Amino acid sequence: MAGFFQKIRVGSGSSKADNNATPKNKKEEPVPELTPLDKALQNAGPLREDGSDKFFGLENALYYSESFRENVVNYRLLTPSDTPNGKPRKVNVTIRPPAPPNGNAAAPAKGVKGITGSQALKARQALNGAGQLPPIGQAVRPEDRPDSPEYKKKQAMIKGPVLELAQENPDAYGMQECTFTGLKDIFTALIESNDRTGVLSPQRFLDIFKRDNEMFRNSMHQDAHEFYGLVLNDVIANVEANAKALQEREESRNRDGLAQSVEKALGASSPVMKGLSASGSRMPGTGWVHDIFEGVLTSETKCLTCETASQRDETFLDLSIDLEEHSSVTSCLRKFSAEEMLCERNKFHCDHCGGLQEAEKRMKIKKLPKVLALHLKRFKYTEDYSRLQKLFHRVVYPYHLRMFNTTDDAEDPDRMYELYAVVVHIGGNAYHGHYVSVIKTKDRGWLLFDDEMVEPVDKHFVRNFFGDKPGMACAYVLFYQEVTFEKVREEMDAEGLEEVRLASQKAGIALGAEPNGTTNKPPPLSRLNTQPVLHVEDHGALPTLSHVKSAPDITNGPTSTSPDQISSPTDIQAVPATSPTTSAVTPGAKIMDGIPPVPPIPDVPPTPISPSKSKEDKVRDKKELKAQEKARKAAEKEQAKIAEKERAEKLAKAREANRAEHELLQKTIQESKQMAADDEKRRKKEAAEARDRSPVTFLSRGSKSMSRKSFGFLGKGDRDKEKEKQKEADKEKERLARSDKEGNEQQNGGSTTSHSPIRTTITERTETSSSSMPAKSDEEAHEPRGLKGRFSFGLKRKKSGKFLS
Amino acid sequence: MDFRSVLPPPPRYPAAGTYNAGLGANNVIPMIETNNVLTTPSGSEYQFLVGEGLYALKEDLHLATPPPHPSEAPVVNPNPLATTPQPATAGTKVSLLALDVRPLPPAFYRVASRSGGVQQSIQEHPDESKSSTTEGRGSSSDAGGAVRTINPSDLPTLSPSAPAFGEGNALLAPPNTKDANKRRKPKNNMTKSNSSFISRVIVHETLGKKLQERSPDGLFAFANINRAFQWIDLSSPTKVEYLTKILFTKAHCLCHDVNRLTKSLSHIDVIMGFSTGEIIWWDPISQRYTRLNKNGIINGTPVSEIRWIPGSEHLFMAAHMDGSLVVYDKEKEDAIFSAEADGGQPQQSPQQQHSPTNDETNGTNGAVNHSSHIQVTKSVHSQNQKTNPVAVWKLSNHRINAFAFSPDNRHLAVVSEDGTLRIIDYLKEQLLDLFYSYYGGLTCVCWSPDGKYVLTGGQDDLLSIWCPSESALIARCQGHHSWVTSVAFDPWRCDDKNYRFGSVGEDCRICLWDFSVGMLHRPKAASVRQRASISSRLTSLQRENTGTSRLRSDSNLSAGEVDADGVFPHPVSSRASTPILPPVLSKTVDADPLCWLEFTQDAIITSCKSGHVRTWNRPSDTSPQVEEQKTEA
Repeated sequence: MAGFFQKIRVGSGSSKADNNATPKNKKEEPVPELTPLDKALQNAGPLREDGSDKFFGLENALYYSESFRENVVNYRLLTPSDTPNGKPRKVNVTIRPPAPPNGNAAAPAKGVKGITGSQALKARQALNGAGQLPPIGQAVRPEDRPDSPEYKKKQAMIKGPVLELAQENPDAYGMQECTFTGLKDIFTALIESNDRTGVLSPQRFLDIFKRDNEMFRNSMHQDAHEFYGLVLNDVIANVEANAKALQEREESRNRDGLAQSVEKALGASSPVMKGLSASGSRMPGTGWVHDIFEGVLTSETKCLTCETASQRDETFLDLSIDLEEHSSVTSCLRKFSAEEMLCERNKFHCDHCGGLQEAEKRMKIKKLPKVLALHLKRFKYTEDYSRLQKLFHRVVYPYHLRMFNTTDDAEDPDRMYELYAVVVHIGGNAYHGHYVSVIKTKDRGWLLFDDEMVEPVDKHFVRNFFGDKPGMACAYVLFYQEVTFEKVREEMDAEGLEEVRLASQKAGIALGAEPNGTTNKPPPLSRLNTQPVLHVEDHGALPTLSHVKSAPDITNGPTSTSPDQISSPTDIQAVPATSPTTSAVTPGAKIMDGIPPVPPIPDVPPTPISPSKSKEDKVRDKKELKAQEKARKAAEKEQAKIAEKERAEKLAKAREANRAEHELLQKTIQESKQMAADDEKRRKKEAAEARDRSPVTFLSRGSKSMSRKSFGFLGKGDRDKEKEKQKEADKEKERLARSDKEGNEQQNGGSTTSHSPIRTTITERTETSSSSMPAKSDEEAHEPRGLKGRFSFGLKRKKSGKFLS
Repeated sequence: MDFRSVLPPPPRYPAAGTYNAGLGANNVIPMIETNNVLTTPSGSEYQFLVGEGLYALKEDLHLATPPPHPSEAPVVNPNPLATTPQPATAGTKVSLLALDVRPLPPAFYRVASRSGGVQQSIQEHPDESKSSTTEGRGSSSDAGGAVRTINPSDLPTLSPSAPAFGEGNALLAPPNTKDANKRRKPKNNMTKSNSSFISRVIVHETLGKKLQERSPDGLFAFANINRAFQWIDLSSPTKVEYLTKILFTKAHCLCHDVNRLTKSLSHIDVIMGFSTGEIIWWDPISQRYTRLNKNGIINGTPVSEIRWIPGSEHLFMAAHMDGSLVVYDKEKEDAIFSAEADGGQPQQSPQQQHSPTNDETNGTNGAVNHSSHIQVTKSVHSQNQKTNPVAVWKLSNHRINAFAFSPDNRHLAVVSEDGTLRIIDYLKEQLLDLFYSYYGGLTCVCWSPDGKYVLTGGQDDLLSIWCPSESALIARCQGHHSWVTSVAFDPWRCDDKNYRFGSVGEDCRICLWDFSVGMLHRPKAASVRQRASISSRLTSLQRENTGTSRLRSDSNLSAGEVDADGVFPHPVSSRASTPILPPVLSKTVDADPLCWLEFTQDAIITSCKSGHVRTWNRPSDTSPQVEEQKTEA
């Protein structure tokens, strides 16, 4: 919830999205896909360039570039929103052709840049022909360095096309212009676009969004997470307002394959969402957003005076979790559900005994959402500086996740999630910075979205944002989506080859200059990992012999002449889809950069090294020998086969004997497990009863002690137990102290809802988020107040009180 | 409060240095060569209390991170989004070695833990050990490693019950049996080497004297830090001074192991695996070395784990990051061999004895079902054993994070980044079982000293206890706050019913755990006896299995599959049905993520990413009592 203000920068340019980021859309795409990598590769050639800044300045219509990327994150999931309206009508898109690289003159006027495709091509060729990397150390502007993001962004703009959504066509949807239509326009435009890559400027969308949300109506940097929340809430509100109209259309279009999730939503307004349905304004056809993003939390509060336990369900669209240094997301989530004492100033109003009482509270997840958005609270208010500070804690996040903090009655508590998007904040504090996101696409792997630039990255890249790496880039919002175990395994298998390639790359990097010992070339100019997947497949037959070795081989042995190896670069060239790789930056070439005397010609096998020829001969001789041997071996093989059969038979027999015994064993185990389970149940019941009876036991009860019980007799002496008690007492004290502090803080914060640290620092907005947001959209005809309030910022309140001054 | 007007917007992609200064000490690479630092901090934060007493920090040896090689400008890209792949690195790991005859832990046999443990000592009679677990302390302590060390050349006389790896293949017989007492040394002199792979070697001036004067029961430590590799005498009062330090040019040593079979005062076999995929066999005493898999000629991916095969003088196994396990012979390195191995490897496979498998795998290379069997790219029984590799098995396409040999020297537990635990009969080159983590990759693995259990740690913040003989997940251990990086049993606190193990993780914590079979389901008083009988039956069953022809013990599950050499992977057990084990201790013991731990007789040793090797003394006063208790039991 911490906000940070993204200052508009001249260079910030428009956001760009790529069709490839949206697998669902692909169905609508008749043309087989090219890759966005093309662009990256194509433009990888270095160049010097003039007037670039102007060019960017032009594009400057676009402000919260972060915001759009946010949308892209939700993109695929929101896509269904397009379909309810049936055949998407043509969106009013101004497609700007690529602007000239040195378009100083042409730049200022928007409609004017009438550069032709051929011109652009020429420009690009010029770039590619420009040749070598400028010597390092020489002062180059960032955008001139081919590996700099600035450069890539510029190239993206040059290449175009630039989709500009200047106006909307809300009428087409029978809706008023609102955030939702804006968003929808963007998606529609992307889908309709004939280009696979390009830049889209969400100008209009942002205008609308800003209109509806006052706090974004300035030039400050904004918080991605907040934005995400607002967009979702806006969408929910907008959609619900139009529910009826939509409903009719939806029904007529349900057959649309893409409308599945909508269908689902239509059928079931999930009974769990009591909180929501209570509002009564929810209509069929509006559930899809909830259906996707919404989960239910149960907060169990137990009054310590009367022992009454009360439960309250809250819905959430995301979870904001506190961070600890050197922890994992798993652990932070667990902490999220840890027990909390409500005491001192933060006492709980007990209906049963009336009045404020001390209580114990814990939050568990009752319903797991399909898409789990985890907001890592990286921005903490520090009193010392009276400002928000960014926490650079190292928080690791796995590619897959299951939740530990579900309630006992949660459905499918072992649900598996996979990481599919990471929103990264780059910057040293909460007030400035830059957002990028790394998103996993269905068949293009992971892509990095950075303003206009879309770049393929490898899977390991995703792990660069734990927070401890130099560069101040930290994961800020993580998106996990529901997935089945089988699918994960499938994907793992498919991913394998890619992994192999990456591993060899790593070795290659380390090996790099070694063979000659002389190279101290700069890091490879190309992004090796920008290779399309295709390339990897070429290597399928030879997984262990990756091309990376070709460099060392030249000096060390004949192996590089192995036809298989050489074939890989050539293969790439043969594939038209990856044609850009033919520029001097094929992987092979990159490796060869390590060897100065050999020019990087990927398609010429480095055969003509004389010693290797003789070795080839040797190999040939050997092959002949082997052929002779083969006959002999065949006979041996037969024998071996027979032996194998015998062995198998023996095995089978022995197994039979074994099985009987084993079955017995399994049975006993089963029995004992059953017994244990029963026992466990009974114990739980007893424990619950005991808890109800005595406040003391309840106090000392903790999740830990619960489980400890089960191992209680585990060789722990009385001494230990004493210690444990002591420990627990200490914990108790701590807890008290903490909640005490919290209470104070809360007090100072003004109201219980003003948890969000950002508010205290943004001068314009000191209101609390949940109440202020709806206020912003008062102008909307429909009743967004209640709806927006649903976006449960309240959850994040849980511990953030600590951060308040 | 108006920061916007005061602060100029910082660059979007921060420049190098300025912003990074405050970020984590482990990112700061010194620009000048520094020395190791030994400190002995004390205070309550440097001790932890467990049931048996107080563990206290004895010393903290901080290994100096070497500056980057002068010719290799550090690849620092200020752009945090830079997509240039970075070379693989690893935190400090330590291989411990005691030259003397060391009494084995009271709890019989030592497992192959991170540094390789005292594997050899176990392997001689695995089955006897099993049957004598209860009263076998005396017998076990004078068997095994001790004997081996004194007369290490008796390799071929392995216990008949556990055949040596590759037995039956005459081509693999040790070539130098004639002069048994004279050990073959690596061929290159390290100090005089002009290899571009090795940047510098610094040998302590009085190395010879130091070696002579040291007490024979002291521990040697071999440790990697960044691009350096250090040999340290942990028993020396001047342990700050390394005995030898090797600086590599660019490659980082990721893993290493010491051969416990061949160790002697005049010879130590150390192997190191590198981020370049290369392997170095090094004898620190003579300062000679040999490079294997030169330039990644056999396998060009980084080595994530390397271990001597128990009981073998010259065979070791390396896990490459492309998911293959490769067995090398330390003496079979040669340029010609390598060249041939590279080009000729695919051709070799038809000659192998397990030809059906091979044909199949060759045909469908890349589309192999890795979850049902391992792909034997080159069998140890291959007739072409003149060159390295001795054997190559492809387990999957995912990085192998760690592996461990079972104490009975028959099995191999392999964990990888895709979250699988594989149990492999490495003598037969067969996949026996396949388990999955709760979620995320598995990072570390070890066997219980008696070989009954396998312990894994992973990215789900959990330790998992598996029972291969039962083909089941026994329990999950919850207590770490981040990924687990290393697990090890404490053989000094294990007996046949109760196990103590420890783990360290990225959360900078050490966790100690007590586990016993009976407690898992916390049975009622009535069922205790029954449980006990089950566990004992289990043992007997397993004993039988290993003793006889080592069947797949989970035959119930995959009976139909055995003939097809397949394995049913086990579904992930749900949280509700799996016992959870809490730690008996969880304590932050370092400022940086930990990456290794090991139990020694009188201490726990941990190491972290930034090179702190910390020794935690066991509680001294209570240890006699513990001994008594144990003998009583």
